[in-house]
Amino acid sequence: MKHLPKHIRPRWRYLAVGIESAPDAEIDRGAFQRALWYAAGNLLGDAGSADADLTVFGFEYADGVGEAIVRTRRGETDAARAALACIDSVDDDPIGLVVRGISGTVRACEESYLRGRSPDSVEETVAFADDQRPAIRRDDIVEISMPEGFVAATELDLH
Amino acid sequence: MYEAVTAYPAGDSTVSRQAATAADYGYSGLVVRTREADFDADAINDPYGVDAVRGIEIDAADPESAAGSVGNHRRDCTVLLVRGGTDALNRYAVETDRIDVLSRPMTGDGDFNHVLAKAAKTHNVHVEFDFGPVLRSSGGRRVQAIQRLRKLRELVEQYDTPFVVSVGADSHRQLRAPRELRAVGEQIGFEASQITAGLEAWGEIVARNRERQGEDFIEPGVRRGRYEP
Repeated sequence: MKHLPKHIRPRWRYLAVGIESAPDAEIDRGAFQRALWYAAGNLLGDAGSADADLTVFGFEYADGVGEAIVRTRRGETDAARAALACIDSVDDDPIGLVVRGISGTVRACEESYLRGRSPDSVEETVAFADDQRPAIRRDDIVEISMPEGFVAATELDLH
Repeated sequence: MYEAVTAYPAGDSTVSRQAATAADYGYSGLVVRTREADFDADAINDPYGVDAVRGIEIDAADPESAAGSVGNHRRDCTVLLVRGGTDALNRYAVETDRIDVLSRPMTGDGDFNHVLAKAAKTHNVHVEFDFGPVLRSSGGRRVQAIQRLRKLRELVEQYDTPFVVSVGADSHRQLRAPRELRAVGEQIGFEASQITAGLEAWGEIVARNRERQGEDFIEPGVRRGRYEP
């Protein structure tokens, strides 16, 4: 179908989203989009969810940190922000989310708010809770492998 | 703005990791609810610029054992919280001046009414709006949580009861930035200014209690002056 003339095309806003998860969590774009629709549907209802029209545009994730660009209609950014805040896990992997900023174009969104590749993580052994334990370190943050799962710490906690 | 968090060993993230995330999200301080959490507030404040505050959340089965813990721990912490959840505990907490915050009053069998709202104002006990179930549960449980928050909000507005807002995070991944909380709050009937006030109230409690713990403090309005021996 012929595309709409410019003045009646919908206006969009692009939310730059920072994502954080456990280092062993596998999250892909499809799963994140499903979680987003599910969260929006539950919080905003079908009508609000349709208005917000949330779509994951860009998605990059590796080793527990990621970034996404989420598109929404102009004027619905508060609803979009609320729906994003209500995503607590993707495929049963708990995730942390923060909206880093909002732009009118994808390019401005990437240039202003997204940091690109995160620093590489290294595996090493650290001293924590009176023992030597395997850990994954990225900059000053450390994910320590404990019998009951990962403990998220920083280098301040290492002895 | 401050948040109140549960930290390792009770939660999945250490205090410093929670502080790193809180700094990224724009918080200026963290109240640590976990008594067993081991941290050095100065060491955390240096790289992250977040004021980590020693708090203790008392989780007791009945008012008698809560009263014992309040007596034991009041001097060890800056912010003292008592977890509600039954009518007796809620009633005890709002009528005790030594308690700063009644947390999660509407969980389980707990309920709140006009008598408690007035008592909380008289004794200056802050009532917590727990956003955890709104953000992390779904279906009927979430509907109930939102209904209970609404009831609590209507009472707090009517009787001008002091309140705090928290997401009750067990790990740094459960923290959310203040703007996100305001957006969620507006969706479920709060005003953005209420959420901001609730987050700032933690900081006010911390400032007040630090002043009281200071050496010059005798009682509200009375300071040790120049002529004191």
